[in-house]
Amino acid sequence: MNKTVNINLAGIFFHIDEDAYLKLSRYLEAIKRSFTDSQGRSEIIADIEARIAELFSERIQNDRQVVGLKLVDEVIAIMGQPEDYLVDDEIFEDEPSSQYNQKSSSTRRLFRDTDNSYVGGVSAGLGHYFGIDPLWIRLVWFFLIFGAGTGFLLYILLWALIPEAKTTAEKLTMTGDPVTISNIEKKIKDGIDTVSETVKNVDLKKHGDKLKEGFDTVSDTVKGVDFQKQGNRIKSGSQDFFESIGSLIMFFLKVIAKFIGIILIIVGITTLIGLIIAYFTIGITNAVHFPPMNFLDVANAANIPMWLMSTLVFFAFSIPFFFVFYLGLKILVNNLKSIGKIAKFTLLGLWLMSIIGIIIIGIKQATEYTFDAEVIAENELNIKANDTLKIQMTGMNRYKNYYFNNGNDFKLIEDDNGQSIVSSNVKLMVFSTTDSLAKITIEKEASGSSYELAKKRASAIDYNFNTTQNTLELDAFHITDAKNKFSDQEVRVTVYLPEGAILYTDKNTKRFQRKYYNSLNNILSKTETNHYFKIMNNKVECLDCEEAIEKSDDTSKLSNDTINTTIDKPEVSIKINGEDGVNIEVNDN
Amino acid sequence: MKIENTKAQMRKGVLEYCILSILKEEDAYVAEILSTLKDAKMLVVEGTIYPLLTRLKNAGLLHYRWEESSSGPPRKYYGLTDTGKLFLNELNTTWSELQNAVNLVTQSKTSKK
Repeated sequence: MNKTVNINLAGIFFHIDEDAYLKLSRYLEAIKRSFTDSQGRSEIIADIEARIAELFSERIQNDRQVVGLKLVDEVIAIMGQPEDYLVDDEIFEDEPSSQYNQKSSSTRRLFRDTDNSYVGGVSAGLGHYFGIDPLWIRLVWFFLIFGAGTGFLLYILLWALIPEAKTTAEKLTMTGDPVTISNIEKKIKDGIDTVSETVKNVDLKKHGDKLKEGFDTVSDTVKGVDFQKQGNRIKSGSQDFFESIGSLIMFFLKVIAKFIGIILIIVGITTLIGLIIAYFTIGITNAVHFPPMNFLDVANAANIPMWLMSTLVFFAFSIPFFFVFYLGLKILVNNLKSIGKIAKFTLLGLWLMSIIGIIIIGIKQATEYTFDAEVIAENELNIKANDTLKIQMTGMNRYKNYYFNNGNDFKLIEDDNGQSIVSSNVKLMVFSTTDSLAKITIEKEASGSSYELAKKRASAIDYNFNTTQNTLELDAFHITDAKNKFSDQEVRVTVYLPEGAILYTDKNTKRFQRKYYNSLNNILSKTETNHYFKIMNNKVECLDCEEAIEKSDDTSKLSNDTINTTIDKPEVSIKINGEDGVNIEVNDN
Repeated sequence: MKIENTKAQMRKGVLEYCILSILKEEDAYVAEILSTLKDAKMLVVEGTIYPLLTRLKNAGLLHYRWEESSSGPPRKYYGLTDTGKLFLNELNTTWSELQNAVNLVTQSKTSKK
């Protein structure tokens, strides 16, 4: 069974089978394209239609008979193929089709080649576009898929963006074949077997529309060519000159535009790939406890889920770069499919949501530091006046694999008790006191979104010191469980020494000394490490400083020079350490 | 270079001359012109003739009139205009000259062999 179509051919009415009709209309369209208006196209077509009508009438016995495919084929055989109609000037030119070739090779376009596709025809299309075997492109995909699956994603993207070569004209521009009538006919003939097989099942009208669409494109190009040809005839030499300069400029502009397009694509795609890899890395490592990720997790005091955070950051950065990539592609591939309004607005919305989300998280994170709380512990030290207190840090080497660059830095360690945050944010201060006994206070401080939380975190700080005889050993680190997050934990050690006591600070305390905090009263602002200092009322006196040693060593200098030193203090005590004996002469002239 | 192209070009070159010659005696419609040409093996497919006829008509060498047909659509009867007749005369002269020239060339070649 076959559908029939009623047609009017040169005023005569025919019933014609639908497939036969399609073939006939294709044939007539193809012929139409071979002429220009200046050649009297409509008249020629009218004549040809009349002749076909005549041939049909001769072969149809009665009015009820339907024109079939066989009859159409027969008539086409009599009338000749479309290229047979090309009797005009071109046939006598040496290379009539060279112009066509040049034109169409420069306008080769990127389409998806669904005829030679394995998946979506992207590789085959790219192969046509770059003039290489699609196998190479498939190989690139294959390797890119191992690059964290970016190839897969990129493929989907291109699949969606590059239009499929549906019409014959599109298929020809895709392969870079000239869009000439005979080529179109050839393509159609290639496809006609498959078409006629499926023609009974598939919506015929749709096929017809597709073909028509193809022909329209061709007609546009043909018109374009024709116009150029005619224009050239009219143009004088000087116009030609300016024309060529213009086209030269246009050429360079096009090259620059393509170059910009390539740069945009490279920037867009590398950033996207980087972001995608980063995103999936976070996703994967989050599950296997990759150290740097835990580090991030600990800094995240507001307890925002890691996946949410990374997704928001991913969208906030990747969407703008996707548009950069799209823009580049659009510059390079002029027939690029639009991603559509819905997709554009969805992406824009997603991006705005991500930005808002990040801002909210930022605020939440900031509020984590709004409250500070401290826990103070006070201990007496068995140091009286005239006793010596040595202060030194311990545990300096315990975490020596970690490098701390400033007081606020922290490291994450993992041991049998789980994860802990280790920080070297320990501050040491020394003050004098009028009490008879020395004491030490440990202030642990932390911040949090509420005072209670801050307090809890502060008390969770694990910090120890111990005293052996005259030595105070302070931990160089404080530790807290990773659950407590990093919330500006800080430990301040303040030592109060009675007047008359002697302070010796080890060299390794130097980094922990807060000399400039309350420097008027802070003893440490007046002392050096590795020296003995006697504590006076807010003053210190160096007992073994370099200055004194230097002067006593240089006896010759002392005998030659006049030294006029006046010590005007209520209590003067001079201590001289000499290993080979001490010789003091006092000459009072 | 394909032999078919050369053949087609040769044939198409003299096609206009042939059409004008057919119409010299009396007016004819396309099917008649076609059958004459096809009988003489001047034409393989019919399509070729239509652009030629239109061009000749546009050049003012041919004119046509419509005539009703009993079996099909109305027919275009082509005839020579006065310009067409002059044109044909000139072509006749050119053709005989060309024929002589070609004969001379080709036969001298064969006689040398």
